[in-house]
Order: sequence, then C-alpha cells, then structure tokens
Amino acid sequence: MSEPLYLAPRLEPRLASLLDSPAFLHPLVTALGSPLNLVLPDQIADNVRAFRAVYARHRLGGRVLYAHKANRSSALLRRLAATGPAAAVGVDVASLGELQHALGAGLTPDRIVATGPKDPDYLWLAARTGVTVAVDSPAELTSLARLVERFGLPRVPVLPRLSDFAAPGTRVLTRRSRFGTPAADAGPLLDLVEKHGDSVDLTGVSYHLDTMGLAEKAAALDGCLRVLDEARRRGLRPRCVDVGGGFGVDYLADGAQWERYTTELTRALLGRRPPLTWEGHGYGLRGENGTLRGTLSVYPAHRPVAGPRYLDELLAQTAPSLGRPLATLLLENLYDLHTEPGRALTDQCGLTLARVLEVRVTAAGERLVRLAANARDIGLEDHGLLLDPVLVPAAPRPEGNGGPPAGSGVAAGSGDAAGSGAGAGVGVYLLGNLCLESDLITRRLVHLAHEPRPGDLLAFANTAGYFMDFTADHALHQPIARKVAVHREGDTGPWSWCLDEQYWPHLTAGDDA
Amino acid sequence: MRYEHITDAIGDTPLVRIAPEVHGLRHIDLYAKLEMLNPFGSVKDRAAWRMARPHLEDARRHGRTVVELSSGNTAKALAVIAGVHGLPFRSVTNRMKVPEIKDLLLLLGAEIEELPGQAECLDPTATEDPLTRIHRMLTEDDGRYLHTDQYYNPANAEAHASGTGPEIIKDLGGTAPDWFVACVGTAGSSTGAARALRAHDPDIRVVGLVAQKGDFVPGIRDIDEVHEVGLFDPETYDALEAVSADEAIDGMLTLVRRCGILGGPTGGAAYFGAVRHLRERDAELARAGDGRRGTAVFIVCDRVESYMSYVRQRRPELLRRPPRPNSPATVTPRELAEVRSVGVEEARAWIAAERPLVVDLRGSFAFEALHIEGSVNIVDELFEELLHGGPPFGRSQPVLLVCPVGEKSATYAALLARMGHRDVRSLAGGVIAWRDAGAPMVRD
Repeated sequence: MSEPLYLAPRLEPRLASLLDSPAFLHPLVTALGSPLNLVLPDQIADNVRAFRAVYARHRLGGRVLYAHKANRSSALLRRLAATGPAAAVGVDVASLGELQHALGAGLTPDRIVATGPKDPDYLWLAARTGVTVAVDSPAELTSLARLVERFGLPRVPVLPRLSDFAAPGTRVLTRRSRFGTPAADAGPLLDLVEKHGDSVDLTGVSYHLDTMGLAEKAAALDGCLRVLDEARRRGLRPRCVDVGGGFGVDYLADGAQWERYTTELTRALLGRRPPLTWEGHGYGLRGENGTLRGTLSVYPAHRPVAGPRYLDELLAQTAPSLGRPLATLLLENLYDLHTEPGRALTDQCGLTLARVLEVRVTAAGERLVRLAANARDIGLEDHGLLLDPVLVPAAPRPEGNGGPPAGSGVAAGSGDAAGSGAGAGVGVYLLGNLCLESDLITRRLVHLAHEPRPGDLLAFANTAGYFMDFTADHALHQPIARKVAVHREGDTGPWSWCLDEQYWPHLTAGDDA
Repeated sequence: MRYEHITDAIGDTPLVRIAPEVHGLRHIDLYAKLEMLNPFGSVKDRAAWRMARPHLEDARRHGRTVVELSSGNTAKALAVIAGVHGLPFRSVTNRMKVPEIKDLLLLLGAEIEELPGQAECLDPTATEDPLTRIHRMLTEDDGRYLHTDQYYNPANAEAHASGTGPEIIKDLGGTAPDWFVACVGTAGSSTGAARALRAHDPDIRVVGLVAQKGDFVPGIRDIDEVHEVGLFDPETYDALEAVSADEAIDGMLTLVRRCGILGGPTGGAAYFGAVRHLRERDAELARAGDGRRGTAVFIVCDRVESYMSYVRQRRPELLRRPPRPNSPATVTPRELAEVRSVGVEEARAWIAAERPLVVDLRGSFAFEALHIEGSVNIVDELFEELLHGGPPFGRSQPVLLVCPVGEKSATYAALLARMGHRDVRSLAGGVIAWRDAGAPMVRD
C-alpha cells in the first residue's frame, strides 16, 4: 500500500483553536445533535478588514458587500451590520427573503444591493426601502421605474449589471451568462435610464463573471469604465463600479499535498495505481487507451492567489483597452470600488461537525465510516471540494487529539486491513445517513491519522461559504443541522456559544462599529 | 543556398557542440540541435508544414480556415503557412501566457480565441470541458475547417522521424547519440526523433522533460498534462524528469550568455535538464575509467526574443537598468516633507489670482472625462520621462501639480523643487478632495 494522501485543511488560529477544544465541541453535539454547524462571527469582521487593506493600498473608496447566499446565518449578517465603517461594509442580497433578513439584521438600505432574479415582491420591497438595485435587463429597469411611479416612491439607486464584454486583440471566449445586459447594448440601456430619470438614479454599473480568469475580469472592468464614461457624457453622475466576487478561497494547508493528490488521481484513472475514489469516480476525468480525457472538475482547493490577494492582483492588471492599471483608472476617474465576495468573506468562518455512527470493513477490505449527516448537510461533493475532515475523538488517543494539521497526520493507526498500512493512518469512505447509494459525503478515499470510533466527531473545516446549508434539506425526514454562533473573549478566553438566531453583536463585537 | 520558397528552408538545422568548460561534463560530448533556426523560429515549423502541406490545395479550393489549439509556436508557423497560401488561420487556446507571442500572432493575421477561465462555482451539469467541446466541433464540421490537430496528428511525430532524427544521425557521422533529451509539449519532436534514433541504435536512452507541477515553462506540459496528449506514450521515455521555470531560465542564461545560442526558456530547460541528467552518467563513465566517451543531443526549440516579459515577471533583476536621473524613486522623505501642498480653497484662490500652470497627471481617459478648468494633461508616465531630461517648463513659471489623491503630485513637486523650480505646489488630497469639496470640474 502506498503512502496516505492527505488533503489537510488550512486552519487559521481562531478555527484551529476551536477544533482543538474537544471538551467544548462534544457536549454541543450531544445537546444539539449531529450534524451541527458552527459559525465564528468575529472572523468575518477580520476578513472584511483584510479586504479593506487592499482598498487602502490602492487608495480606493467603496464598499465590501457580503454576498449573503454563501450562508443563511443570522449571526454572520448581524456581525457585519456591526462592522464598520458603514460606508465601507454592506451586503448583497439575491432574494426577497435575504433582503428581509438583511434589513432585520440591522443593515440600513444604503448598505444593501439587491441582485439576482427578481420577482415583483422583491422589487417592490427593494424600491420601497430604497436599497440599490443591480438591474439585470432593460425590462427589469422599466418594471422598477413603473413601480416607483405607481407608488410615488423616491428615486431608486440602480447599478445595471453588464455582461459580454469585448476585449481588443484576442477574442476571449467568456462563458455565457444568463444575467446582465450585453455591454454592446449599453446605449439603449442608458437611454432608458435617462427616460426614467425621475424614478431611477444610476449610481454606477456592475458585473459578475463566473470565472477565475483575471484577464476576463479585467476586460469586464475596462468595459464598465467605458460605459460609465458614456453615462457621464450624457450628464449622468455615476460614482462606482461593482466588480462582483469570485475571488476564491485557499482551502488547503499544503500545496504539495494537492499536487501529489491530483497526480495520483491521474495515475489511478489511467490504471497505474489502485483507485482513490469510490467506484473509480474520476471527477470529470477519464482514461481512454492510456490518454487522459475530460477536465478535472473540482474546486482548485489549493489557490495561493485567493480572496484579498486575488482582488489585489485584479486591481494591478492593466486595462486591455485603456492601458493603465485598473486601480489607477478607478482612482483617476473618481470611482468607488464595490466588491461582493461571498465565499472569500466567510473564509475560516465556520465548521460542520458530524458524529461517527458505525465503522465497518467490506469483504473487499474497504473501510466504511457512517456519519450522522449527509452530503446535503456538507456540500463538499456538490461544489467539488476535496478536503479532509479533522478527527475530534470522544476519548483521547495516545498521541493526542488526532486532528492532523498539514503533514502531521501520519501516526500509528489502529487499522491493519487493506486500505490502511501499519503506521500510515487509515483510508476510509465517508457514508451519509440517507437511504441512497449516492449519499457519500465525499467520493474520495479519505485518509485519517487514526481509525474513527463510534461517538467520535469528524469536523469539516471552513464550510461557512456554500458548504454548510446551501443544499441542506429535510430529505428522508433527516433533521437539518442546527447552527450555533461561537465566540470568545480575546484570543485566549473560553469559548461561548448561542443559537445562531440568538446572536446579536453586543455579545462580542469590539469597537469596530 | 538558394530556395524557391521559404518553406524549403524548414529543417536541416545545425547541430552545435557545447563547450565542455560550459557544461562541465568530462566524458560526454553535448550537442544542441538548433531548431530555433527554422525559418519561422521554432521546432514547430516542421510539424506545422508536415501537417498542413498535403491539405493546403484542397483547403484553398474550398475556402477553409486553418484551425489549431495552440498557445505559441505551432500557431506561429501555421499562421505564416496559412498566410502565404491565402488561407485564414484561427488559434483556440487557454494557454496563451506569453504576451509577445500573442501580439506576433495578431501581426501575422491570426485570429485568436482564448478559452474562459475555470468557473468559480462548480456547475455539476457541465459535463464537457471547453477543449473537448471545441475539438468535437472541429472534427464534426469538416466543411469549414482544416484542423491540423497537433496533439493527435501522427504527421506531427513523422516530421521528426523523417527529419530531425535522421539529421542528428547524419551530423554525428552516421551514429545515434547515447542520450537524446527533449522537452515534452505535444510530444511530437521527442516521439518522432526517438523513433528514428532507436531504429538506428536500440540502446539510445531518451529523456523527456516536463514542467514542475504548478510551474509554467512555455511549450512544456507538466507530468499530469502530458497524459492529455494523444501522441504521448510513456514507453518512449527512459526517464521523465521535471524542470522548474527558474531552472529553465538558468539554462537559458547559460545558452545565451556563454554559448551564443539565443534560445528561449524551453531550450534552457532542455539544456538544464540534460546536464543535470548526464552529470551522474558522466561520473559513471569516469569510474569505469576505460576511456569510453558518450554523446548527447538536446533540442533548442525556439528563440529568446519572445520571452522578455516572461523573464521580467520571474527574474526582473536580469533586466535591470542603471538608475536614471530625476527618478521619482530617488525622492527622500525630507524632500517630500518640504513640498508645498495646498488645500482646495487655497489652490482655488491661487489659481484665480496668479493663474499658475495646472498640470493634471492622471491618464488621458480620466482627464478627458472631468478635470479642473484650464489644466493641461501630462500623464504621469510621460511626465516621468520628461523629467529625466529636465523640467518641461521654466523654473519661474508657477505650477500646480494634480493627481488622484495628492501622492504622486507631491513626489513630482519634490523632484521639480530639487531641479531648481521656484514655485511648484501640489494639490493636497488630489482631484478626489477637489470633487469632495464641491469645486467645479469640466468636460470640455
């Protein structure tokens, strides 16, 4: 048997310290059940500060808007409402429910941008409360203007969403989007803005591209600046560009583990080593006559340029048609920068705990670990994230708690059957609690430093962005995970908790409001 | 040497010996096969010509477009070949990381389509990657495209089996080398040449060089990516070894500075990988002590000129220039502290009373949109250039410098003061403060 292939999560001090507190975590799961979601509201305030530092470095003003859809948590939202300055922090909502939630969490309308597909109820509440509306199309702009006129509402700030940007030189084949108005149709859109000038106030334009490609995003920002210039030429007074998000998160502690894992996966699919996945699942790749076909469709879990660093790189890009760095262009043209990081703002903000119910070895020697949770509670597979859980034992193991940070996970395992070599940890498949063959928490063979026992907890780190409750539902009458907010006094105080909906920032928020 | 057509100059490239004092191998003669001296500049000229030639006449008759998935040299060669035969050329790629080559392709008249980056949110319903999709589009539509298909086309490897390999044998006086070292991109040159060399001498050892994972060496794939290439067969290679971008540049430096071979980073990687691999073999020959010598050949696949931005990004110190006079970087904190920065109200009063020259240092796009009335625009980059030669206006002409937030303008004011300018001021807080104070700006 070859060496275990770990994919250890990157753990910053606050999350690492929480994971290192089994005496706090075990009673919580006993009281509230498995699975259990934990969020760390103070972390999101720190993450906002990291983005603000990039703004400051480029001398840019504008808002960091949390894309609410990454997590349903009230605690995270309320903590953001208490994070300041108010002119610099806000939230981007994508549904009527999220808008109501944001308003109820204490975010004032000037700090909210309404995006996404909009029904009339959503549009009405947005207009009524005066939040900024990122209008998707000329038709939506017209509907909004009609609402404002019909109900005699004040002018609504709008931020049209643009798409399909052309770059000079080479043609960049951007993935098609169903959102936004093509930049080439900006003229007629601005005509509409002018026509409804008493109802809508164009404060800027926005884009959001589902890509990691910096060049595509630079071309989009360049295109936005041109449209804004046209708006100014017409006498409108736009003040900002919203560049959306998609800045990414670096999930793994050790890049070398990622490189090694993906190489071994390739070899396994070409039949040059034993499978690394349940039933030889290839994550988009397949071997055909010794040639690899397809593309690895997983999240690039090791992403050194992610979050604030990605934004920094984007701003340093040279605008393809305007020829100067994007940050310089924004500054020179007196535009504020709005960003909407969802996943990146929730980095290190949460974890999901699941109790081990059963460990069994199949006739073929595979070790199956059944958890009191399913793949909808922990959406790793759904979003293609390959990441190891951290074992939080019920009783201490001889070597310690068994939570393996990068590279330290190799310890004498108790496993000795196929799938685990002596002294090399133990390889297991993680099964969910649904009566479905497809319900694996991850299709990967996961290596753990110790064999889990019933009653142990497996902690899935860094799940706050999309992996926690984005897909959770009541399938087969299995309970949805409860969510608690955890916090502590300073960096060393004891951990405290409350139910997510009971959290209000006065419990912990410092003086950053 | 007289040719009827430029394509006749493809192939028959020189084999040049690397001096032993450069590579330090005492028992091995090392030769560079200079594929960079092909007429369009790279080893790919052979494959491009071989793949396209039989179909050009037919393609011209039917007005087809030559299409290839290429990030560089193959596209370059095909663009030229297509151009001189009156055919359009289109390159589809997601790997075009070298800006000079992109510009060169545009100059040659190529149309380039770049594939989008990976999606940030995984879409489980997307079962096909863009490359596969385009591949299928091309193979299904046989009416409009001449797809040269370098990753699967056997003509790619054949160009080397019938050209590169036999040429090496001929230039070595009818013998195959003991080692053949080649970087693996499409695997065409290594597969084809190895086939010819092995046929001549089954004992030859073939070393394939791949890029270190997560590193980028132009034209080379990493150890996972080579498996995506139809021509790649692991059996071809006695060893597959990885070379980092840094090592490729080191090797390139040796070639260009000490051997006079102006090869690019891929050739540098081949040289570096060859010497590293051969060092141990050299020691074995020394230990044997029987006076036997070995011969090795590596391929220099293209020229250095296209990779300046690659070098600038990774090893900027190699392109260092002597400091220039009056550069903003030389401004001291003390000089900066002595700059006269004026607030918006003071600046407005000064402008009204004395009509100083107001110089806006922002880009022309921003200046064009909104600026202080009566100001002139000298973009900071240009202003810096001007200052190297001396102040661009009289020393007694009052000047107000303006930039976005008052930082750059203060630096340039300090420089002008150092150069003896008598009344230069900087707008504190820049255009942003001006706007925030409600002072007028125009678009005229």
